[in-house]
Order: sequence, then C-alpha cells, then structure tokens
Amino acid sequence: MSTQSPSQQAPALEIARLHFRYGDRGFELQLPHLTLARGEEMLLVGRSGCGKSTLLQLIAGLVDPMSGTVKVGGHDMHAVRGAARDRLRGRSIGMVFQTFNLLQGFTARENVLVALLMSDVPKSEWPARAEGLLRSLGIERLDARVEELSVGQQQRVAVARALACNPILVLADEPTASLDPDNAANAVRVLRDACREQGASLLVVSHDPSLESHFARRERLDAIGVAVGAAGGAA
Amino acid sequence: MSDFAIVLRSLLARRFSTIVVVLLVAISAGLLLAILSLRTAGERAFQRGTGNAHLLVSKDGSPLVSVLNGLFYANPPKAPIAYGELAQIRASFPWAMFVPTAVGDSYRGFPVVATTGEFFSKFEPVLGEPWKFAEGRAFERSFEVVIGAGVARETGLRMGAELVLTHGSGKSREGGEAEHAHVHEEYKFTVVGILAPTSSPHDRALFSDLESTWILHAHDRFEREGKHKTVTAGDLVEEDRVVTGVLLRLPSRDPRSAPPALVAQYDKMRRDGSLTVAIPSNEVQRLFSIVASIDVLFLAMAAATLVSSGFAILLSMINSMAERRRQVAILRVLGASQARIFWLVLTESTVVGLAGAALGVVVCAVGLFAATRWLIAAHGIVIAPELDPRSAVLVAMGTTLLAAIAGIVPSVLAYRTPVARNLRPLG
Repeated sequence: MSTQSPSQQAPALEIARLHFRYGDRGFELQLPHLTLARGEEMLLVGRSGCGKSTLLQLIAGLVDPMSGTVKVGGHDMHAVRGAARDRLRGRSIGMVFQTFNLLQGFTARENVLVALLMSDVPKSEWPARAEGLLRSLGIERLDARVEELSVGQQQRVAVARALACNPILVLADEPTASLDPDNAANAVRVLRDACREQGASLLVVSHDPSLESHFARRERLDAIGVAVGAAGGAA
Repeated sequence: MSDFAIVLRSLLARRFSTIVVVLLVAISAGLLLAILSLRTAGERAFQRGTGNAHLLVSKDGSPLVSVLNGLFYANPPKAPIAYGELAQIRASFPWAMFVPTAVGDSYRGFPVVATTGEFFSKFEPVLGEPWKFAEGRAFERSFEVVIGAGVARETGLRMGAELVLTHGSGKSREGGEAEHAHVHEEYKFTVVGILAPTSSPHDRALFSDLESTWILHAHDRFEREGKHKTVTAGDLVEEDRVVTGVLLRLPSRDPRSAPPALVAQYDKMRRDGSLTVAIPSNEVQRLFSIVASIDVLFLAMAAATLVSSGFAILLSMINSMAERRRQVAILRVLGASQARIFWLVLTESTVVGLAGAALGVVVCAVGLFAATRWLIAAHGIVIAPELDPRSAVLVAMGTTLLAAIAGIVPSVLAYRTPVARNLRPLG
C-alpha cells in the first residue's frame, strides 16, 4: 500500500524510461520521457497499431510495464498494486473511450454516480455534482437509459463520467472515431471545454490528423520517442 | 447510488433470466419447506386426532389398523365386539372413561360414529381440548345426530335438518359406490348439534347414539328374515348390540401424562387374543417411524432440486459473463478494486437466492394451503396450514448460502477479468 502524499506542484503526467512488452504477441513499446503539466492539453497522433491505446492503459495502470515510471499528479501508478492502484486511478484519472463504454441499462445520471461511488467525493455532493456536470454538457434527459440517448449525447455522458471525480488527468482514447467530422470537432470542443472548466489535464490519442488544429500541443508518437517494434528487435 | 444499486441494475438488465432463476429457486425452496412443514403438521394432526384416550380396543387386524379405523375413520372396522365382551371390558378395570363406538354407517361418504353421551362429556378430541358446540347440544335420544364442523361446512346441513344414513361407507375402496351399501330411508335423523372445528378427523364425522345404529341393523336383520316392520328399541336382542371399538382412559392425576398402570393394563388386555389393544399415541408414532424412510427420500429429492437450482444460478451467471466482462472492466477503470468486483457478483447471486427463498416461503404457504384443502377433500386428513417459522428461516438461510456458493465461480471469473482486453470496441 502506498504512503505517497499528493503533490499540487507535480505535473499531471510524468513518464520516464517506460518499457512495455507483450510477451506473447511480439509487441514492444518504449517511451523515454513525456511530461504533461497541470491543466495542459495534448494530442498524440499515430497510425493504428502504433501503441496509442497501450500507452493509455500503461498510464492508467491497467497493464504493468517491464520497467520505467508513470506518475500521475506525482503518484507512481505502478508503485502500488491491487486495490490501492484502483483507488488511485479512480481518484486521479478519468477515461473516455471510442465506444464510450457506458454502463448499459443504467441511466445517464447513474453512469456518473457510479464513478462518484468509487471516489472520495462526499456522498452528499454526489447528486448535485452528477446533475451539474450532465447539465453543463447539455444533457437534459438525466434519467434516460444511456442506450436511449443519441451517440453525441452518449459521448457527453462519458465525458461527464470521466470528470465526475475531479481527476488530475483525463485520457481520451480515439474519442472521435465513431463520429462524423462535424460531430468530431464538436466532441473535441466539448471535451476540451469540460476539462478546462474542471482544471483537468487532457491527453487525447487518435489516428485522426484532423484533430491537430484543436490542440496547441500535438505530437506524433514517434516524434516524442515512442518506439514500437517486434519484441527483442530494434525498436 | 450504492453497490447494491449496481447489483439490482445488473439483475434488471437481465430481467428474463433473473426472473426464471428466481422462480426456479423459489419453487425448489418452497417444495423443501412444504415437505418439512407438512411432515411436522402431519404428525401433529395425527397426534391431535388420538385425543385423550389411553387405550383403544377393537377386533381389527393390528393395533395400527385399529387406530386408523377407530379414530381416523379410514375404513369401517370389519369385526364387531359383542355385547358380552363389552361388558367384560367395562368390568375389568375402574376406567375413568369408557366410550364404546360403532363405526360403519355413513352420510354422503362421511363416517357416522355411534357412541354414548360420554363421548362428548369425557372424550377429548384433542388432549386438553374438550368438545365445543358451535350450535346446539349433544344427542339425548335416538335418531338425534351431532355433526362435525367439516361435515357442516361441506354438506350445508344446519340445525334441525333431517337426514338418512347409508349402511356402510357408501364408497368402495376403489372410490366408487359400494355394492352392499344401502340407505335406511325408514329412519330419519335430526341434526341437534354442530361441533366447533377441532382440526382432527372428527370434524368430518357425524355422531349418533348407539341405540339408533343398533335399530338400523336390527331392521336389516328383520328384512333378512322376511319380517317387514318398524323396529324399536324393544326389538333389540344381544346380537344387535355390537360395537366396533372402545375408547378407554385410566384414572390419572396428570391428564397429559400416561398413568403408571397403563402398561400393566395394556399387557393384561393383550393376553386376550381375541381383542386388539392399541395405545393410540404410540401407534401414531409407529406410523411416522414407518413412513420416516419415505419422508427422508422426499426430503432428499427436494434438497436435490434445490441444489439443481443453485446450478441454474451458476449457469445463468456464467452465460451472462460476456456482457458482464465489459461492465466489470468499466467499473475497474472507474476505480473499483478486484475484491469489490468479486463481492458485487457474489452479492448478485446471493440476492437471487434471497429473493428465491422469500418467494419460496410464499409459494410454500400457498402450496400448503392448497395441499391442506386437497387432503381434506380427498382423504379427510385435517392438517392446519402452518408454516414452521424455524424451518422457514433455516430453508431461507440454506437457499441463500447455496446461491452464494453458486456465485463463487462467476465471482472469481469476474475478479480475474482482464480490464484492457474488455474495453476494446465491440465487433
């Protein structure tokens, strides 16, 4: 169990000498260094299969690297294990997925409340926070089941859920892949505005180069030193 | 929002399979509980029927048959006790209760018990609970009849109603009309009393005095001899004055316990090989020890059904693992620990078990009520539909525990669900 204390000055994300390998798939990822300041936004672009999603999973502590460190708000995600890491993830990171990954059968409000259930936010604040977030993102049918909502509305619910616990960092994995160009631009605007309003840093990974115009800091994975290759080979 | 709300949402998302499995568990738990309750209630009902008689004397083939025929009116006893033998029995001991009975006639299939006034003043249908009349009084003269509560309910007979009796049960053992049964149209009986319910087989009987029955049978004798006349008490001969059983009670300080002299008197009377002597309460216990092995078999079958419903829970949850894996992965991303996921899934199976058990108790109560009605209608056995609270709690706890055990495998699978793999886009 970690005894680390949160640091308000630490960057939202700090990656150093990260090395990951899927032993059985011949896939290897290396990232020498990456930092994202508090409140900063960043777009990482790369072709399909270049390790974008794997990088986000490493940051979220869903998979373990061979070596290196991933610090979110000063906390090393991989220095703790089990429930402590799950708790750290729930408190520090919000995630938005390409297919939103909302809880089917649950209402929009409940999807946000479930995130709050895993958080340190006092229970008395949950209803107001869930409603406030959803309404600020333009969701009026709070008690409609998510499968009854339009794709655009579902994405907004996913954004609200990601921000429910006041995360330091929001990770968005191909957030516009399911949307047409107009809706994609709108979705990115909603995501950026919401993160900015909540003071969360935003790291978006996408294969879509058209998103580059929305972000001041944008990088190609290979340009920041991400090297992907067959395990055991030169990366 | 709470963990429990997540569990309920998850169950509602799979509404159909949840309802089917809950119903399956309910039926299994209800069946087990019904068998347990019926066993207890059945034994109690039989014990109630023996009343306060210490001994029952008859000429049936065995003490058990004697009790079944003499107190539960299963069949009319075949061999009568002659008047002389009856007098000998009366003189053999200073009985506290001496109640001769003659069972053989019937009214619309209900047995008619011919007896003496002591049947109402000294015999208690249930130990410690004397007869109570809902209406009217005991018979005081010939051709007056008192009817049990069940007879009144099912025939609609009221005070002052007139009826005629059938010689014999009026039904063969196969359930059809008996060949030798005939109706004594010549002699009308008047209802002078309706008994309050006793929850014993006596509720389904009618009671008249011995002399009336003897007159009916004397009438038959005269008919056989070709003499057609209205028989009166003056025409009775010793041959007519027969009974089929005698209910006996020894003097006792404590009405609820058997007196020390009972065993000695029982042994003494058994030495007369022509008589069958039974201690009714012992015979009922013997009956239940005979059926105990069948009872265990029924219980085992019900328990097996319950275990199979546990497998149904397991299969239902395993089948839903595909959609559950995604839900688990999402919850993990949101910060739920593996242990929390384990408990969520385990709670889900436990809730199914608990809901099934609760519904099972209701199913059992309804089933018991239906079974009680059927037993009364088909066999005349009066069993109060009582749900044993202790059995209900034990079965509910057992069912819930079984459901929790059935949920362990799905819970472990959920615990071990790889998060990253299950967050990928579908299709």
